[in-house]
Amino acid sequence: LQKHEFFVDMTCEGCSNAVTRVLHRLGGVNFDIDLPNKKVYIDSEHNVDTLLETLKKTGKNASYLGEKSAQ
Amino acid sequence: AKSVSISVEGMTCSSCVQSIEQHLGKMNGIHNIKVSLEDKNAVVIYDSKLQTPVTLQEAICDMGFDATLAD
Ligand SMILES: [Cu+2]
Ligand SMILES: [Cu+2]
Repeated sequence: LQKHEFFVDMTCEGCSNAVTRVLHRLGGVNFDIDLPNKKVYIDSEHNVDTLLETLKKTGKNASYLGEKSAQ
Repeated sequence: AKSVSISVEGMTCSSCVQSIEQHLGKMNGIHNIKVSLEDKNAVVIYDSKLQTPVTLQEAICDMGFDATLAD
């Protein structure tokens, strides 16, 4: 299974909660947030552009890092 | 210009505050915005031809925070 790996400039739990909420609101996503490393791993039916746009709604810097195979 | 106070839940630190201030500050018709972590609110001075309390509330919700209008 491949997951999309994103960088999101999160600094605290408020940030990761905000990311959680915008992704829940989008729907159709499975995701893990790695707050210390500022990474978000997403498995979704949506394309990368949609996901990146959604992450950027939090007002934080975000960028796409690539595919990552998850265990 | 009109002023509205919006309750904001979910902010945990000053970077949460900053991201809301920066993001709303970029919207059209916003004259001034002051977000308080302690008071859990955002006081926005806006042009009522371009924004309404609801559009401002939605903008904060879209960022992943829980925003409500006090009446
Ligand atoms: Cu934060
Ligand atoms: Cu914060």
